[in-house]
Formats: sequence, C-alpha cells, structure tokens
Amino acid sequence: MVHVYKCLGRWFVLDVESGSFFESDELTAKLIEKRISPLANAMGDFSRYSHSEIEEAEKEIDGLVSDGVLFSAEPVHPEPVYKGIVKALCLNIAHGCNLRCTYCFAGDGQYHGGLDFMSEETARNAIDFLISKSGSRKRLEVDFFGGEPTLNMDAVKATIKYARSVEKAAGKDFRFTITTNALALTDELIDYFNEEMYNVVLSIDGRKVVHDDVRKDAAGRGTFDRVLENAMKLVRKRGDKSYYVRGTFTAKNTDFAKDVLALNDYGFGQVSLEPVVLADGDPLALTDEMTEKLCLQYELLADEYLKRRAQGREFGFFHFNIDIYNGPCAAKRLVGCNAGDEYLAIAPNGNIYPCHRFDGLEEYVIGNVNDKTFDDRLPQFFACTNLTKKEACNDCWAKYYCSGGCAANSIMLCGDIKKPYKLGCELMKKRVECALAIAAIENGAQKE
Amino acid sequence: MKHIKVIATNTICKDKGTGCGECQTGCQSACKTSCTVGNQSCEQKKTHRPEKTVTEK
Repeated sequence: MVHVYKCLGRWFVLDVESGSFFESDELTAKLIEKRISPLANAMGDFSRYSHSEIEEAEKEIDGLVSDGVLFSAEPVHPEPVYKGIVKALCLNIAHGCNLRCTYCFAGDGQYHGGLDFMSEETARNAIDFLISKSGSRKRLEVDFFGGEPTLNMDAVKATIKYARSVEKAAGKDFRFTITTNALALTDELIDYFNEEMYNVVLSIDGRKVVHDDVRKDAAGRGTFDRVLENAMKLVRKRGDKSYYVRGTFTAKNTDFAKDVLALNDYGFGQVSLEPVVLADGDPLALTDEMTEKLCLQYELLADEYLKRRAQGREFGFFHFNIDIYNGPCAAKRLVGCNAGDEYLAIAPNGNIYPCHRFDGLEEYVIGNVNDKTFDDRLPQFFACTNLTKKEACNDCWAKYYCSGGCAANSIMLCGDIKKPYKLGCELMKKRVECALAIAAIENGAQKE
Repeated sequence: MKHIKVIATNTICKDKGTGCGECQTGCQSACKTSCTVGNQSCEQKKTHRPEKTVTEK
C-alpha cells in the first residue's frame, strides 16, 4: 500500500508496509497515484509534461519498486499471543479533583463514584503487583493520575519510596510520571517532581480565555493565572528532564493552533494539545462536520512549527515528534499502547482496569491488587485484539502510526474494540502527514 | 534521482531481536485520550537502527 499526499505545498509518498518515505515532484506523485488507482489522473493531467520527463520519472519509480521500498508487500504478521506480562501502571491515586473542568471524562475526577484516595498500602501492593507481573521487562512505568494526584501526595511519595527500595533487588528500573493540573504546586512539590519524576505532564489548555472557560476551580473561578505561574516555575527548574504541557481542545476552540502557539509563546518548549473525546450531543464535542477545519489547523500549526524551529526556538509538539529513523519496531506498531495487556490502571480501592479510561466500569474490573485477584480473560481479549484483528484498519495507510487507535475510544464511542473512532482517525492521519512532512523538510534542511 | 527524493527506507524494523517491549508505553506520555505509537522511540535504537538513506535530488 502506498499513500501519496500534499502537505505544506509539497508532495510526499509513504510506502506503508516498509515505512519508506519520499518527497517527490508533482509529476511523480501523480504517476504513483495512477499506479495505485489506474483510473485516477487521466492522461490529460500529464499533458504539460514532456514524454521524456514522464519516462524519466517512471524509471525512478520502477527503481524504487525493484528495490522493495515502494509498493512493498504486506508481511504475514504473527498471530497475537497473550504473554501475561504487565510493564506499566496508571495509578489513579486520587478520585477527586480541585478543578471542575467541563469536559472531564472522569466526572470531576471521581470516575462516577464518590471521592476516594488510594491508601499507601494499596499503592505498595500495586508496585508489588507490577513487579510480579513484569517477567523479564526491566524498565517499568508508573503514572500518577487522577483526579488530581497532588491531593494525595502522601501516597505518591510512599509509592516512590517503596518502589525505589525494592527495584534493585527485583532487577527493575522504575520511571515515574505525574499528570497534574498544577493548581496546588508548591516550591517543595516542584523540587520533588523535578527530582523524582521521569516525566511531568502539566495541564493547560492554551490561551487564557480558552483555559478559563473550561478549567475552573470548585468556586467557579478561572485557574489560568495560578496554573501558568506554577507550571512556568516548574519548567524553569526542570533542566533537560522530560515534560509536556498538555491541553485539550473542544468545539469552543476549533482554531486550536493558536492555543498550541500560545503555550509555546509562554515559554513551554514541549507541548501537546489533544482533541476532546465526548459523545455526540455534548456542546463541547467535536463533530464530523469540523474535520476539515481541524485538519487545516494542524497544517497551519506545522507551518509555524517549522518556522519557529528554524529560528532556533525550542518547540516540540507531541504529535509531530515522529522520529522516522528510530521509531518503534513492527511488533510495537501492532499493539500500540497495549492497554488491557501490558498497561493497566489501578483505582484507589485497588481494582485493576484495562486503562484509566475504564476506571469505575464494573464490567471491566480485571482483579484487585489488595486481595491479589487477577482474571486474565479481559487481558487475553485485549492482547489478542491487536491491529491485525481490526479489519477496518487493514486498508488504512496510517495503521502503523496509531496501531488501530485507542481501545477505550472504540469501545465507548463505537461499541466495539475493532471499530475505529472515525473523527479520531481523520485527525490522527492529518497529524501523521504533517509529522512526516516536517521530518522530511527538517532532514533536508540539515543536509543542505 | 531527479524526481523523487528518498527520505528514509525501511523504517518499520522487522529484524530478529526487536519486539523486546522495553519501549515507553504510549499512554504514559502526553496523549491519554488517543493512541499514538508512531512517535515513540525504540529503546534499542543503537543496535536496531533501521537503514537510513538520504539522497539529494
């Protein structure tokens, strides 16, 4: 399968199965399109090219085909196998939040239950569970999530202290991440996070007016000014350690490229902005009718992204960070985030779920780290429903970049883990097109 | 080549020894509501770096 597209005024060609990537002129792009679909681009489209030009381009295409890097065949992928290994946990350490974001999938952080906070004992049991299930995996990941994890810092600190005390003997290396709204950050917390957290994710939605409209505190006040000050303080002291300022865009800011750029203007070099995921009918939900406008935003963003980086400004956008030379292997691309299998979530009461998005849904309880129960039927189901089992994805050129998409989105919005969430697909495809184009352009610039 | 520039070839590594599972879990980074695997990096990149080919037009 081959994907030909135009982005940032230039033509690109992706050989899907090998991952080989090319930039071409318009003639060659159209000749390749014609090979993909013989009825496309009738001969009239080529009338402005000379016979020798066409012949020359065709020869170059033939050469790449014979080299096996264009129109390469789809390999026979191995059948998915459930190994029973867990390597990453999302600890929903607090079912509660000091914000009242209008789009929160977790129901004000409480996951549709009541306020609840993970005990230190449950957190330690979660670490023991992870080590016991990790097999030969050395690098283990733990993400403190919620709700707002800073509301339960005693448990966060106890978790890290315990994990550090046992990791060496267990032959493991823990990496911790915390996702926080930054409202309650203090100097002491900032220093602690910068010392202990491999990655920090700070939630800000972009422009002040956008953020304050949807991210209010319990008293209904906007939080932008307080959050920005705290987040900037943390990032200034973070050095070269990993972080992301991560926001959400909704139907209220379909011009979201301005929000990404605003975050960069505030001084944040590593930014992510995610499309909100809400069911149809919610006033903040993104709809299919917005697809074209949203895709255009990514291209506008890509254009400005390149300009800023060319000027030497630090600017990373999570979805444009595709390293085409050191990306994941084929095996990883078939499983994606591995939710429900190698990646699980733990609720404050110790319940185990396929990922944080399933927290609170009784039918998705896999077991409990306190009573040491673990029913592997759901993990088997998730592990064995990898990309190769998603028929709707088989003919999609972007399949090796999203691995069939988010399982929670498919189940919750489409009712079936095998059915892709279409709007999410369209936005993902546009992001990948932009990311590959950026990689090509920046690589070319380095070579010149 | 004059008409098509090779940016990278065979970037989806299928070598033996890959699939070690040591790489970052996508959802542990920044997305949390979408699955993005393409922008993860290989932890073995030094030993399983895919062939890199860049030629000028």
